[in-house]
Formats: sequence, C-alpha cells, structure tokens
Amino acid sequence: MKETAPNPFINGLWRQNPTFVQILGMCPTLAITNSVQNAIAMGLATAFVLICSNGLIAAIRKHVPKQVRIATYIAIIATAVTVTDYLVKAISISVYKALGPFIPLIVANCLVLERAEGFAAKKPVIPSMMDGAGMGLGFAFGLTCLGTVREVLGAGTFLGIHLFGPNFEPWVLFLLPPGGFISLAIWLLIFASYRERKDRRERARAALLTIQPAEVQS
Amino acid sequence: MTGATTKSAQMIRFLGFVSLLCGVLIVGAHITSQSRIRVNQEEILRESLAQLLPGMTRQVIYIVTPTGKLASAASGESGGKRIFAGFDAGGKFLGVVLEASERGYADVISAMYAYSPGSQTITGFSVLEMKETPGLGNKIGSDPDFLANFKALDTTHPVAAVKHGKKTNPWEIDAISGATISSRAVGRMLAASVQEMAPIIARHRDRIERGN
Amino acid sequence: MSGTTIIEVRTSPHLHGPMTVETIMRHVIYALLPIAAFFSWHFGLSAALLLAVTTAGCVLAEHTACRLSGKRSTVNDYSAAITGLLLGLTLPPGLPLWMAVVGCLVAILPGKLLFGGLGSNVFNPALVGRAFLQAAFPVAVTNYTPGLAANRFVEFIPSTWAVPLMKPAPLNDWLAKVAVDGFTGATPLAMQKFDHIYSELGPLLWGLGPGSLPGCLILLCGAYLVVRGMMDWRITASMIAGAAATGGIFHLVNPALYPDPVWVVFTGGLLLGATFMATDPVASPVTPRGMWIYGLLMGVLTVLIRNLGGLPEGVMYAILFGNALSPLIDRLTPPRPYGARKAQVPQ
Repeated sequence: MKETAPNPFINGLWRQNPTFVQILGMCPTLAITNSVQNAIAMGLATAFVLICSNGLIAAIRKHVPKQVRIATYIAIIATAVTVTDYLVKAISISVYKALGPFIPLIVANCLVLERAEGFAAKKPVIPSMMDGAGMGLGFAFGLTCLGTVREVLGAGTFLGIHLFGPNFEPWVLFLLPPGGFISLAIWLLIFASYRERKDRRERARAALLTIQPAEVQS
Repeated sequence: MTGATTKSAQMIRFLGFVSLLCGVLIVGAHITSQSRIRVNQEEILRESLAQLLPGMTRQVIYIVTPTGKLASAASGESGGKRIFAGFDAGGKFLGVVLEASERGYADVISAMYAYSPGSQTITGFSVLEMKETPGLGNKIGSDPDFLANFKALDTTHPVAAVKHGKKTNPWEIDAISGATISSRAVGRMLAASVQEMAPIIARHRDRIERGN
Repeated sequence: MSGTTIIEVRTSPHLHGPMTVETIMRHVIYALLPIAAFFSWHFGLSAALLLAVTTAGCVLAEHTACRLSGKRSTVNDYSAAITGLLLGLTLPPGLPLWMAVVGCLVAILPGKLLFGGLGSNVFNPALVGRAFLQAAFPVAVTNYTPGLAANRFVEFIPSTWAVPLMKPAPLNDWLAKVAVDGFTGATPLAMQKFDHIYSELGPLLWGLGPGSLPGCLILLCGAYLVVRGMMDWRITASMIAGAAATGGIFHLVNPALYPDPVWVVFTGGLLLGATFMATDPVASPVTPRGMWIYGLLMGVLTVLIRNLGGLPEGVMYAILFGNALSPLIDRLTPPRPYGARKAQVPQ
C-alpha cells in the first residue's frame, strides 16, 4: 500500500476525525450538542484554540527545553483558551451563556494537547496550523452531526428554524444527556459500517493486485 | 531541541519568556474585548427590559440598600436588589422590572418580571436562566398560554400557581400540564419577591416614577 | 435461535421432556391473550388497534432486520410477538400509533437484535421500548383516558390517529363528551402520589380503574404457565413479596402518606411486570436462590421508586435494573453440585 504523507488538513477533517475516528474530546461532544448552534460555536471555538496553540507551539518548538515542554504547551493552550473566552463573550453573550463552563474546559480537551505533542512539536508553523484547522473543523463537523440529530428530533428545528410546524411532538429524550449518548452511538455505527465496507473493498482490490507477481512492490 | 544538557537557568529563562508572552496576549485580548463585552451586556439587559415593558427606550437603575432605602446605581452603591424603572420616548413612566429567583425542579430558576406600582399587577415575566427539563419544565420560559398568565396578574392577594385548567382568580397562575413543579416554583418566586419589593416600591413610588 | 433447544438449564438431571422455545413462547401468548382481550374490551377500539400495531410492528421489525443482515428470520419463535403484546399492554390506550411504532423499533433493534437476538438480550426488550417512549414522550405516555367509555367500540380515541411526528390533538373535547364523572386523566398511582387521593381497591382488583389491568386475571394467566411448567413462580412471588413488605414498612411508618401493601401490589403495572416481564427467561437468573434475590430486589426497588422517587410508577425501572444485575446474581449463586461441600464449589 502506498503511504504518502497525508495532507494535514484533510487528515484531521476526515481520516483521523477527532470525534468519529479518534473518539477524543467526548465531554463537550456529549454535553453541548443539544442544538446545532451550540455545536457549531463549540466546534469553531475549539478550532480557533487549536490553530493558535499549534501555530505558537510550532513557532517556538526548536527552543523548548525537553523537560519543560508540557508546562509550556499547557501555558500556551491556556492562553489561547482565555483569549477565545473573551472573544466569544465579545461576539455574543447568549452563545457564551449557552456554552457555559465548556469554553474554559477546552484546556482539558485531550485533543488540543495531543495535537501539540503529536504534531506541532515536530512540524513547521504552516502545516501545524493546517493540522489545527483540520482537526478543529473535523471536531466541529462531528459536533454538528450530533447536534443535528439532537435538535431535529428533540425540538423539531434546525438552527432554530422550524422544520415540521408548531405541532411537532419533541422527542424530549434527545435534549437530555442520554440523547447525547444515543446520537453518538448512531453516528459511530454509521461511520464504522462505512469504514468497514471501504476496507473490505480495498482489501479485495489489494488481493487482486497480488495475483500479478511482476507488479508487486515490496 | 536543546536536549538533556539544558541548564536550569536556561529552563527558567525559557518558561519566563513563555509566561511573559502568554501574559501579554491575555491582557491584550482583555483590553481589546472589554468595551465590546460591556456594550453586549448592556444590550442584553435593555433587550430583556424592553421585552417586559413594550415601548421602553430609557431605563433608570435603583439599588435597594440594606436599610430599605433607594440608591441610584450611578452612585456606586452595589450588592442590594435592583429595581429597573422604564420610561418611553416621551419620558412617560411604564413600570418597573424586578429580578427574582427560586429553586425549580432541576436547579435555581432566575427570572425578571414587570410590575406596575399603580395597579399592583404583574404585567410581564421572562426567564433569565434555568435548567428545567427540556420539553416540560422549560416551557415556563416559552409556552404562550403560560406567559399569558402574566398580562395582568393581581398581587394584592398572594400569588400562587394552581393546576392546569383550574385558574379562577386573577391572582392565580394556570400551571403548565406536566410541569406543575416548575410552574409552582414560578408562583413561589413571584409571591416572595412581590411581598418583599412591593412595600419598598410603594414607599419610593414618587421618586421611581420621576426617574431620578 | 436456530433449531430446537432444551430450555431447562438447571443442574442435571434434566427430567423435563423436550419442550422447545417455540412451544413455551406459544403458551405465553395464550396466557397473554385473555389480558389483551380484557384490555381491548375495557378501552375499546383504540386499545385493540394499539395491541395489533405493537405486535405487528415488533414482528415486522425483527423480520426485516434479519433479512437485511442476511440471516434467517427469527420471528417464528413467537418471541417478537410477545414483546409486541407486552409493550402494547404497558402503554396508554390512546397513545398515538406512530409513537407505538417507534417503541417497537427501539424494543426490537437496540433492545434485542443488537445484543444478538433471543437468548442474548440483556434487558427485557418490551421494557427497553417502553423506557425509551417514557423518556422521549413523557406526557403522551402517562396520559391515560377513561375506560368503559360508552362508544368505545364504535369510535377511536382521537389521539390514536395523530400524524407521525406531530402532537396528538388535545383530548379535552372528546373527554368532555365521554368522561366518567370526576375523571382527571391521572392513574390511581399518580393521584395517590401527587394528590393523596385513594382510588377504591375493589375496582382495581377487577381492572376497572383507569390505567391498570385486573390483578386477578393476570395472576390466573400466570398460574396457567406455572402449572404447565413453563414459568418459574419464584420470581413473581418474590417480587410481590418484596414490594408488599417494603410497602408495609412505609405504611407502618406513615399511613397517611404511603398506601397499604395490598394496594401497593394491585395498582400500577406491578403484577403484569412481575408475572410476564421480570420472568423473561433470558434476562433473569437461572438458579432458584438467584431468582429469590432477583425478585425481592425488584419488589423493593419498585416501592422505593414509587414512594421516594419523582415518578408515580417504578416497576419498569426496577425490572430493567434487575435485568442488569442478573448476570451478577448468577455469579454469586452458583448451583452446588450434588454431594459437594460449600468450600469445594469451583468459582
């Protein structure tokens, strides 16, 4: 199989999607996806933190003493989160209230530290920011998927627009915490079966290729 | 990376540099966003007041001092209960808005309501914050039938919530079916707040209606 | 389950004849039919249609799911039909049919087939469906209409025909037309819990109160299965005993607030749950000692939820909780081989 270095943006958005492939950052994923607006806002806030922290860490990566690197990353991530906190408050107080304590808690999202240690500490600034954007938007995509199921079934709306008219019977369950788990399970099932089908196709193709001995690479 | 031979002084210098950088970034973000945040907060306050007192364009904020006196918020007094007096474009007094809170089904419900000192009625109600069950309890903030209770709710008699469909008196609140606990919390909240605030407002009614 | 299996899974010797899963399940259906008939007679057309829809819905869901996953359909063992019947019996007769269908899908797909079908389900599938409906549509699922309405055999309860995904129309007009005097829409349990109004016990025994089935009939149908050796009486007996004992303690402490044990046993879904749901052979322990522990635990939990929790009825959650604990109970109560001493029991 060919293994070229993947485009860091596409990698985060799809192949290593934080929600559906790495299953990282489950706390905000389950807690604040009860509406599409919250999901998008939280996803974008995380993406912004990731881009800032990845960029900054990549910029100073050559000067960080190994012994204090985690402390450095945490300080930088915390800074990015605090700035984001002010930014969200400046953009909209109502979004800020809806997201509640989950913006400060981006600090504790393992996705952010994992990208710092796993990518930004080794790569130049531009690819690191691309990686942050890809991962962040991949996370936002995951949250939006959950938010869509939960808002459409739980309130009959999408981004606040009524889809079924005023007589819609809301499925209260989907706005409550169990609804978060149920919708996450539904999406994981869909993505897992998609991946499995794709893998099976690729294996079949690879098996076909090995039949022609002259063409096989080591 | 400088490897294992890094000296302590070097590490401290580096962390100091990182802290300085972070500090500058945070303070910078704080200064640049502060004015915008304050504008947003005032905007939200004015919007929720105007929703309760239709036609309101100007508000005067009073604070009740511990001794039961009235201080204007501009005087720097803080900590006491707030009274918002609303006036329309012609300077006519529309009513006051008060804040109240009470334990609901899931957590504390905090709300604002409009009170008319002249007729001693509650003329509007809106929820600021709650964690009531979505689809049931949280209807206290949105259900049009429930909010219709607060068009002219008599407060000369203690306010109380009654079961859905059992409202007979002008001081009763018709509860939401399936959300009786949340509805009753609203009733208790208003009853307690009116009992506390109405005498204070009555005492200072002239000043509040003049708006100074 | 493919093929025929001997269901007697206790310690040897197996003296029972080759009773197949199909036979037992068929007899459970026979035992449920009188209850279903009473339910339909009591509440009328809507109730009959509800039972038909839940039964057909469960069978169809199982059949389709098996076909889609390329397996042989397993509906011939009657277990899906039982799930459907039980689900229907736990729902209010005027429930919109589209919600009933949602309940069927949840009961069969995640409740049963996701775990591997009959024999592998951790929870009683009917109760999984019921629990989902309770959480998703809490108002519709607790909204009981009066039984014995005059024109119940010629007219549906209007909410039955609610458009899918839409709220049922308010029942006020219909209720005003048919209502028995003083009907509030609350079940006896809800009235007792929230307003401290006791319904008369007599009608409850014969199932004439709103929202409950006749206790005597359920016990009779259960006795039929016990006599034929198709059901273990221990779970039912211990669950009733647990509930009555706990209810009795509460009643002694504060008779004004808590009902007496007989009332506790004959109201709500306790008897139906104890007889037909808690005894689900897959999701309950297999040893006699385990059955006693399991039944008592569920009985106690039911009354604790009723008396101390926020809901008027606790049978459903008590049984689901018992289902979840039953593998643990099985581990803690291994059967002792004949002649073996306690210390020699292999872990």
